[in-house]
Amino acid sequence: MGGDSKYLGLWYVAPYVLGLLLFTGFPFVASFYLSFTDYDLLSSPEWVGTANYEKLFTRDRTFDKSLRVTLTYVFTTVPLKLVFALFIAVVLNYRLKGINFFRTAYYVPSILGGSIAIAVLWRYIFADTGLMNMIITMLGGEPINWFGDPDNALFTITLLRIWQFGSAMVIFLAALQSVDKSLYEAAAIDGAGPWQTFRNITLPLITPVIFFNLIMQTVQAFQEFNGPYIITEGGPLKSTYLLPLYIYDEAFKSFDMGYASAISWVLFAIIMVLTLIAFWSSKKWVYYAGDKRS
Amino acid sequence: MKRNLLAIALATTALSGAAQAAELRMSWWGGDSRHAATQEALKICGAKHGHTIKPEFTGWSGHYEKLTTQIAGGTEADIMQVNWPWLSIYSADGTGLADLHELSDTIDLSNWDADQIEAGSMKGKLNGLPISTTGRLFVFNKTTFEKAGLELPTTWDDLLAAGPVFQEKLGDDYYPFEAAKLDAALIMTLYGTQATGKPLIDPETNKLAWTKDELINAIEFYQKLVDNHVIMSWKDVAAAGNVRLHENPNWSNGKIAGTYQWDSTYFKISDPLADGQELVYTDLLSQDGQKTPGIYRKASMVFSISANSPNKEAAAQVVNCLLNESEGVAALGSTRGVPASMAARTQLLDAGAIKQIQIDAQARVINAEGPAIHPMMEFPDVRSAMQDNLELFAYGEVDAATAADEMIYAIEEALEDIAS
Repeated sequence: MGGDSKYLGLWYVAPYVLGLLLFTGFPFVASFYLSFTDYDLLSSPEWVGTANYEKLFTRDRTFDKSLRVTLTYVFTTVPLKLVFALFIAVVLNYRLKGINFFRTAYYVPSILGGSIAIAVLWRYIFADTGLMNMIITMLGGEPINWFGDPDNALFTITLLRIWQFGSAMVIFLAALQSVDKSLYEAAAIDGAGPWQTFRNITLPLITPVIFFNLIMQTVQAFQEFNGPYIITEGGPLKSTYLLPLYIYDEAFKSFDMGYASAISWVLFAIIMVLTLIAFWSSKKWVYYAGDKRS
Repeated sequence: MKRNLLAIALATTALSGAAQAAELRMSWWGGDSRHAATQEALKICGAKHGHTIKPEFTGWSGHYEKLTTQIAGGTEADIMQVNWPWLSIYSADGTGLADLHELSDTIDLSNWDADQIEAGSMKGKLNGLPISTTGRLFVFNKTTFEKAGLELPTTWDDLLAAGPVFQEKLGDDYYPFEAAKLDAALIMTLYGTQATGKPLIDPETNKLAWTKDELINAIEFYQKLVDNHVIMSWKDVAAAGNVRLHENPNWSNGKIAGTYQWDSTYFKISDPLADGQELVYTDLLSQDGQKTPGIYRKASMVFSISANSPNKEAAAQVVNCLLNESEGVAALGSTRGVPASMAARTQLLDAGAIKQIQIDAQARVINAEGPAIHPMMEFPDVRSAMQDNLELFAYGEVDAATAADEMIYAIEEALEDIAS
């Protein structure tokens, strides 16, 4: 390779770059083209201009419903999950006996979370005759229709997502441990209480990590599929019919790949806009080391 | 010398014919009993004809999506179990799947009658061999009905009368029947077909055959079943999550005592039942002044060979073994219903390998009358149009007239989409 040494790095990254181009880049570009076509997978795509987008924004009530459900899901799940993950991370940041066991235990749901088995388990826990209703009944309460009532079903799916707080928690924990201890000592000398310390020292110093988790969790929440697909199949009354389920149904049940691509691009645009808003707003609330702001 | 040897080798290969030892794949959907029997049959047929066959099997859910994607990508298995209505999707002009007439030297087609061959043909090309004929039948848990002190129903009125008796004698959580999602839509279709004498979609014109009032009548009947404690409300069924009937503990313990299912699913619905419970198929329930019993009958499924398969001849040998040859037939048994192949049916009947209840059910399907079923009835968009709007009605979100309007609009839109 002697003379080619300046290209050696390219060889190293080539497998990844090729995979990225073939399996992400190409489908990404192709789906944009397909969103302007009528394509049933079995015959060639037929150019229809903006017809798919027109239908999406003017006549498709399922899209309206699915979008509303998706936004509700994301705006409920992400804040709750971040608050919960941060709370647990703060607790696990204390030097307690056996703390490593608890750190591992709280991370386990995140390892299992994406699996079909956990979604099935969730279905059993919250079914009408499931564990949750058994506990409620034992405590003297009335059983709750978790999946059959459109007002409860999305909440039940949301709980599954929040339960998988481990990865966000581990990142928070790492951030908490990197906060300079001398700042806490100085605050203690000045007579600051735990809440004041957390509010004025800890929170500002971990804002870059909060921002990172916010972006990651938002993007992932918009892509949620396994939970609602396995547990409720989008029902009842499409109350858990998130956009990825609609995309899947249009693509692989109706085989309307063009329309499914159009929905995918609208979803992409929504995620992109929200991410840009988050980046724009981050100037006002995220503090980086060496930042000159006071 | 080397060149001569090469020539001899090539000549030998050519003379040995297309059906030399081949590596094949076969895909199907089903339940556990079908999976076990088919894998065993593939081992036996593979050994007999010198082929190795890799099994690819799933449950019903998702199989259509998987198979269609494979066919679109040209990666489908050599041998496929295909649902009959899908033939018109995969092979509208007859060229999307192999023409089995061209393999008739290997597959003994004389075991199927002309109607069955026609059912598996698209534009004159035999794209799928019917494995069995199936129809939706009523099946009741006789044990639970006896506990309630009731005879099995023969009319809708009998069934409506059974609801309050179940509630009073057995408890609020006992129901003589079930219908939600697809089952509810098909019960609605059956009731309307009986009342009008017409199928929901006219096979001649590809148009909706019912008027709005006829549809309203069928939709309202669903509510009558709920109001009379015949079936659980849609909301209560959904409380168990996305669970199929055979996975539902209320079915296995007999608290749900009736359903409307394909007769070919006998093992799927009978296997989970707790010990001591007996299932009985009945004729279709009837209503006063009905114009037809309204049987929903079709070729249940077909075996097809991929148009892209490089080993069609070998695949045909395996298909023939599974459907016509004694070793394959014995191994498969009746896990796909009572076989359509005459040779297989005779063999299994002689061997007593088909349960009497399956024979009786099949006779009910064959003998009952009803209008021809349009394949589009099973297209996902048509089914969604029916189920989604019936669900809105069942949850009290819309009245029957609005549900009918929406259903008509959505079905017509789906039919136009399919036609275009």
